[in-house]
Amino acid sequence: MIFSRFLPWLIAAAGATYLMMMAMPSKDPVNGIHLAEFATIPVVHDGRPKPFDTLARNSLMVISGRQYVVENDGKEKSAMNWLLDVMTSQVSRNPSPADKAKVFRIENDQVLDLLALAPRSGFRYAIEEFSDKLEKLEKEVDKAKSNPKKQQDKFDAECIELARHLERYIQLARATEFLQMVPPETPGGDWLTIREAFVKEQQDGEENKPMRALATILSSYAKGDIRTFNQELATYQQYLKGLQLPETRTIEFEVFFNHFEPFIQCCVLYVCVFVLACLAFLGWTKPLGRSAFWLAVITLAVHMWALFARMYLMDRWFVFVTNLYSSAVFIGFGAVIICLILEIIYPIGIGNLLAAVLGAVTLYIGHHLASTGDTLHQLEAVLDTNLWLATHVSCVTFGYTATFVAGFLGMAYIVYRMLGVFVNLPEINIVGKMIYGILCFATLLSFTGTVLGGIWADQSWGRFWGWDPKENGALLIVLMNALILHARWAGLVKQRGMAVLAVCGNMVTGWSWFGTNQLGVGLHAYGFNNTLATGLTIFWLTQLGFIVLGLIPLKLFRNFAQMLMPRTANGPHAQRKPEKQLA
Amino acid sequence: MNKTAIQTTPPLPPPTHDQPLDVREASTAWSMIKKILSPLASLRLTVVMFVFAIALVFLGTLAQVDEGIWTVLSKYFRTGIAWIPFQALVRFGQVFLGVSPHAQVSGSFPFPGGWLIGGILLVNLLAAHAVRFKLTWKRTGILMIHSGLVLMMLGELITGLFALEGRMPIPENWTVNFVEDHRALELAIVRHVDDKTDDVVAIPESFLRKKERIQHPDLPFDVEVLQYMPNSDINRNPPPGMENLATAGDGLREVAIEKPEVSGTDQSQMDDMASAYVKLWKKGTNESLGTFLVSKWWSVWWIPGLEQPQHVTVDGTTYDLFLRSKRAYKPYSMHLIEFRHDRYMGTDTPKNYSSQVLLRDSDREKEVIIYMNHPLRYSGDTFFQSGVLGKDQGTILQVVRNPGWLLPYVSCILVSCGMLFHFGLNLVNFLIRRMKI
Repeated sequence: MIFSRFLPWLIAAAGATYLMMMAMPSKDPVNGIHLAEFATIPVVHDGRPKPFDTLARNSLMVISGRQYVVENDGKEKSAMNWLLDVMTSQVSRNPSPADKAKVFRIENDQVLDLLALAPRSGFRYAIEEFSDKLEKLEKEVDKAKSNPKKQQDKFDAECIELARHLERYIQLARATEFLQMVPPETPGGDWLTIREAFVKEQQDGEENKPMRALATILSSYAKGDIRTFNQELATYQQYLKGLQLPETRTIEFEVFFNHFEPFIQCCVLYVCVFVLACLAFLGWTKPLGRSAFWLAVITLAVHMWALFARMYLMDRWFVFVTNLYSSAVFIGFGAVIICLILEIIYPIGIGNLLAAVLGAVTLYIGHHLASTGDTLHQLEAVLDTNLWLATHVSCVTFGYTATFVAGFLGMAYIVYRMLGVFVNLPEINIVGKMIYGILCFATLLSFTGTVLGGIWADQSWGRFWGWDPKENGALLIVLMNALILHARWAGLVKQRGMAVLAVCGNMVTGWSWFGTNQLGVGLHAYGFNNTLATGLTIFWLTQLGFIVLGLIPLKLFRNFAQMLMPRTANGPHAQRKPEKQLA
Repeated sequence: MNKTAIQTTPPLPPPTHDQPLDVREASTAWSMIKKILSPLASLRLTVVMFVFAIALVFLGTLAQVDEGIWTVLSKYFRTGIAWIPFQALVRFGQVFLGVSPHAQVSGSFPFPGGWLIGGILLVNLLAAHAVRFKLTWKRTGILMIHSGLVLMMLGELITGLFALEGRMPIPENWTVNFVEDHRALELAIVRHVDDKTDDVVAIPESFLRKKERIQHPDLPFDVEVLQYMPNSDINRNPPPGMENLATAGDGLREVAIEKPEVSGTDQSQMDDMASAYVKLWKKGTNESLGTFLVSKWWSVWWIPGLEQPQHVTVDGTTYDLFLRSKRAYKPYSMHLIEFRHDRYMGTDTPKNYSSQVLLRDSDREKEVIIYMNHPLRYSGDTFFQSGVLGKDQGTILQVVRNPGWLLPYVSCILVSCGMLFHFGLNLVNFLIRRMKI
């Protein structure tokens, strides 16, 4: 049928159109306030110049867990709009809209009780709702901080976290003191806060034009004077262009990148691939499978573009991973590549399905990891080496990726085995072979990556192996992969055993990726997070569930199936081969 | 029945004696050895050892929540049998399973330690190759991987046994000619000879821990350790009810209070600050010279004014007492010309540390810059930029002497190439088979 031949093209075209629509830059209304223009103004924060757009989105992400504000009337307000409200809240008409914005996400019952807040859907509260309880909170925070870190309970941790968010908010509200937004007059000079620039102006007796312009922009926003705001903004941007500061060359691209949100678009498309791949299992297999594959390829291209765009923004070529967030988006990328290659070699649909699942899940995790702050932040001195970041970190993270792919194939194998009770699934053997192949690959990558890390450590502090928790985590993955391969070669396990062990490998990789950071010790101890710890526990439980399913003898399933379908003429799947031949 | 179908097997020809006797004997001896080795060469043993290794590494990671990295290293990895506290498992529960942060469980259980597991794996690997050795193309990769692994284990063994690590703090414009081992202590008794020379007798930490009376011909007096604290605070106000053991020196005014050892590879890089109460006796007599408090807190020599030696006078000669990090003097010295600590704009996040030093040996001088990821290797020692002294007043260099440092590099290349070769060969074979289908 001609339609089935063109379906993949149609789907791919639809995906590409969606992406292009999302990439269209937003335009300011001619007579309205030029917020999108203001978003491209640079500011130095957390050690790097970035557009106000990034500062707004990251701050809101940290405080609120999303990049927009929902107003009382249900309308959405952009992060940029909210940031300007906050920055001008101290000079604007009282009360400022920032005070009313429900942005502080407080989920802990005890903290809500402390602040006399009633739980509500979304758990987001405006500062005016609890500003009279801040003293109480401060006391609790002092008490929590006086406890040694290991003895802090959840309430302590949540109080400290909320205090951190409030601190960030206050810094934004006192923008003139805390935000370095006044550019130097010549390249290489220091960026100043409005207050510093003002003091300098008083001392030197020379007018600081950009400082004056920025102050006017902010005060006109506070007064609601759109005309002056737009005019001053245009003048300031002209001035900024004339300066030609090298540190601001990527600002506009960063705003575009923020606006496009490529990882979120990819996540959406991977979900579409998932739906197509699932439908392909039910029927019309070839056209739907091919559609899923080509849509995944297009998504992968954008995913890759986004990774390289991040490198361009950080000015670190081939450094894919610099923090937990980037490890998540890179693992997704690697996993999709491996799965699509598997799909090319064995077009049975499983590669498409896993590509979609791993791509979407890792990008979703990444999106949540972004709530820790700027994902393009600067690196500590010892990590500041592109050679090792590009080799060791990429290699070891790719090792994680391959181990995850093997683990997910293991899960697929277990599902195939159970479904095999009902329908004939000869593909199960192919999945078994895939697990073996990917495990070999994972062993190579995780070993090489781990040892490269050791060599980096030897280069940087003279110790090849420090038994640091994260190093140990990587070593665990190598040992686990080696264990599975040797168990296979020793004949201790066959395909089913390998699948079950590969799922154990998932648990180990989960530990290494997120678990070790939660212990709060060691040189790699960044990003402790309660939600992550809970998420990891849930992940382990699901994996344990799969392991148990994989270990249950098939006979039990068959009996169960017979109970379900007692009237089938030949019993459930009477022609199945005995398990021994398959597993 | 067709009788011709019945055939008898002709008797086997008698064994030929073409082979020389010693070859036959050798082959029987070899088959005997093979018989003994084959259980050791079992792949099942490998798998079991991997399980133990995984468990040990995991437990050794958990243990770092409570114990210092070096304690974990010697108690878990560089030992035959590790005693694992149940509290380590409770820690896991606290982080991931919602166990109360105040839960405490005492007791521990034995587990094979790093040396034991590593040793068995090594024997297992060597035995496997002895029994199943074949030099074919197919096995070249495996051979490379495994010889690389043997090298790596040897490297770790050599590091564990012979590597020395220390620190060299140098304030700006100072010259230093010794390396401190901050994990080992010594009680140094120093006699000031002249401006350039000190006469030093040092008692190692192991003697201090024994709390016995220490006598030695080189010591100007006998030393008895009354109390030894591996980590401590110094306080002017003793807690109520605390008896002050000191009868002389600064210990009369300040007391040492014991506290737990620093845990994990703590990011603050805090060292344990030991203190001890030592009673000095006039050589070979029962005449006491007083009980002194000595502390590492009073041996911070790199900040002028913080060094606080305890003075003892015996027969008209004054000696200075220091409880300090163990020192190893070098035949060369390092002079810090300039220390740089660059930060990212508008923050305190360090961007780079670098030390410009003048290396002076007996016959030459050399100016070098040591910075992050760019160490200096000189006369068997390697110097790494490691930290900062106080408010950027100087540098801390990490000094390592490890005769096995090159082994991991060779091993990494061997194993990676081996895996590439082995798995690559399999992949190519697989792809060729697929294409034929």
